[in-house]
Amino acid sequence: MADGSKISTHDAAHITPPEGAGAGEVVISVGIDIGTTTTQCVISRLTVKNTAPGTLVPRMEITDKEVVYRSDIHFTPITGANLVDTEAVFGLINGEFRKAGVQPTRIDTGAVIITGETAKKENARSISGELAGYAGDFVVATAGGKLESVIAGRGSGAADYSRRHFLTVANIDIGGGTANIGVFKSGKAIDSCCLNVGGRLLRVDGETGRVVQVTEPMTWVLEDLGFSLAEGTSVDPMTLEIICRRMATVVLNALKETPPSGLEAALMMTDPLRLDYKVDAVMISGGVADHAYTTSPCDTIGEIARYGDIGPMLGRQVRQVFTGDGVELIRPTETIRATVIGAGAQTVDVSGSTIVVSDERLPMKNVPVVIPFGREIPGTPGAIAEAIGQSLSNLYEAGALEPLAIGIQGNGYLSYARVQSLAKGILEGVEPLIRAGHPVVVVMEHDSGKVLGQSLRVLNPSAQVICVDQIEVNEGDYIDIGRSIAGGTVVPVVIKTLVFETRQA
Amino acid sequence: MNEQELIQSVIGKLVAQGVIKGGGNTGVVASSAPACSRVAEGCDLDPVTLSPIDEVKVDNPKNMAALEAMRKSTPARIFMGRCGARQRTHSFLHFQADHAAAVDAVFLDVSGKCLEENGLFDVQTVVRDKDEYLMNPERGKQISDESQKTLLEKCTRGVQVQIIVVDGLSSTAIEANIADTVPALVQGLKAEGIGVGAPFFIRYGRVGVMDEVGELLNPDVVVELIGERPGLITAESMSAYMVYKPHRGTMEADRTIISNIHKGGTPPAEAGAHMATVVKQMMDFKASGVALSKAMKG
Repeated sequence: MADGSKISTHDAAHITPPEGAGAGEVVISVGIDIGTTTTQCVISRLTVKNTAPGTLVPRMEITDKEVVYRSDIHFTPITGANLVDTEAVFGLINGEFRKAGVQPTRIDTGAVIITGETAKKENARSISGELAGYAGDFVVATAGGKLESVIAGRGSGAADYSRRHFLTVANIDIGGGTANIGVFKSGKAIDSCCLNVGGRLLRVDGETGRVVQVTEPMTWVLEDLGFSLAEGTSVDPMTLEIICRRMATVVLNALKETPPSGLEAALMMTDPLRLDYKVDAVMISGGVADHAYTTSPCDTIGEIARYGDIGPMLGRQVRQVFTGDGVELIRPTETIRATVIGAGAQTVDVSGSTIVVSDERLPMKNVPVVIPFGREIPGTPGAIAEAIGQSLSNLYEAGALEPLAIGIQGNGYLSYARVQSLAKGILEGVEPLIRAGHPVVVVMEHDSGKVLGQSLRVLNPSAQVICVDQIEVNEGDYIDIGRSIAGGTVVPVVIKTLVFETRQA
Repeated sequence: MNEQELIQSVIGKLVAQGVIKGGGNTGVVASSAPACSRVAEGCDLDPVTLSPIDEVKVDNPKNMAALEAMRKSTPARIFMGRCGARQRTHSFLHFQADHAAAVDAVFLDVSGKCLEENGLFDVQTVVRDKDEYLMNPERGKQISDESQKTLLEKCTRGVQVQIIVVDGLSSTAIEANIADTVPALVQGLKAEGIGVGAPFFIRYGRVGVMDEVGELLNPDVVVELIGERPGLITAESMSAYMVYKPHRGTMEADRTIISNIHKGGTPPAEAGAHMATVVKQMMDFKASGVALSKAMKG
């Protein structure tokens, strides 16, 4: 086994593609989404292959993403006190893995994501932590409206559509509790926000036509409309139509006006969109989307409240409000499963193929990224060390050091002399971390990871070095780095971006 | 004088026939005339500067962002715009400038200053000048008697790795890259515990000259950095040919190559670091080229 992996290391680092070049290496990635209304999981196979011609330095890329298993869509188990029923969730996921015939130990990477209203609930954090330990070695636990918006837009196909058509596309993922808007320009996420608008904010019994539950955000909507709707009273389709139209208008206005006011402001859960760009097209995903693109009947209480909520009517109103405003609605490739597919297949990337890593220190999870200096690297090792020292002391109290990743932006040309100076500066700057037994983690955009990594190792042979390249990071990102794959040439990387490059000060 | 009259009469005819407008076009003729005469007088104007070659020059594009993204995806000359059926002056001047750089890369010599800065002593093949070098490729593979003597004096025989720098078809590539590639390669090899002989430079050399170096100095591996035949995209591209135990009978299939080393391709320092890994594989498997690939597959 040890010999085998050694040979493959040699092979993959060589200039010709790895043996059986057609095959590539397969990574099993899992995505689990625990939302306000539903819990689901998907299992995907990511193929990593050398795409460079034989005489060039290898370039490993994810060449294929195939969803091999889609779970049933389960209602998220909630206990009486509005808490997620941890045990029941474990039961569901276990059952799905059994059905898929996948051993949790076979899973290489992926993400657990707790979304929508559920993310607010107290025990969400502990669930994600426990699931991360359960499903494989490298599963991310994360939540939050901004990231969720980006993940949903990748899963729905909006990011890819914007890349292929060179357009700016807003993906609106409307679930039970929240609407997440992710804006993509030519494939890249440039903005996002999250609204407290969803199909399950008002729960209605389809048979009796009575209101089962009015959530807090719904009371704001009702107040805005001058309606009063108590739990237990009966409600007619016309009222629900007006409520849903108002919510759909809130979503539309989020794409038109900034800063928001009135109800729009009250329902905005994150910073609003910047809107310093023109949105060319809109895609709707999430559970509500199925009703935004179909014309299934939605007139009687029984039809509207077929899932015990107002989701179908909200979907219809979103379509009417958006098309009425002249917005081009594009059909997504995924609707209700957009977020889970985004989490499972779209969050993982691979680093550049000429890197230096101390595998024994991997995987590393949730490592905060600091950008000690801008795109211009300071001229002397002293200045580099000082900038890194400053970042370090901003992040950690002395004596309470945790690992951190130094992010280097820019894609300019780095001479050997500059690399040497950079290596010296980094080692000097992270000296307290090395003393505390932490590895030196560098994530750079330049294709110079190998020469920088070798320089770091030569200058300090005792330090553990993880130096990966061709990855773009920003201040405030968190990064997960997995164990190397494809014979040690690349590492899987998940960047949890919470801010956007183009964000204005 | 006759010429001026002729031009005026042609313009007059064209205006009369309505092919061109009188005012505007005569104005263009008039304004371009002083520019010509200034050049003719040889006054020293600033050199012409052109907007970058990767600027999209298409008129009235439907989706400029799309064109810019596509332009970024290739160094090829696309979206240069056109003037009728012809290329624009902008494209034409860039073409000429790049062509001139390619010609220079072939005909110039690697400077003494460059060799000195990189600590390389120089030897020569049996070729005497550039013309002979270009006309008779075989001679670029033979080291002159005098140079053989120099090498035997200055180099250690039987080192693990001998690095050689060869001008090949682009001296420009050598001057642009070796200061970054050679030290990165040496650092990488030393980190792997591999011994390196003193690198040197061979003038008027072809790829096959590494075989003679192998015969003469008997290292385990020869790493040859050589200027690639320049093109219009760059004149600075360098290749690394690496052979385990090169000798007179070495086949082309035994050469491992990493090409496209330049600032816009594989960065020179990163290429050096990567080459150290490849050399390590050659030493472990005692093979190079196709044989190495086969050996690694088991």
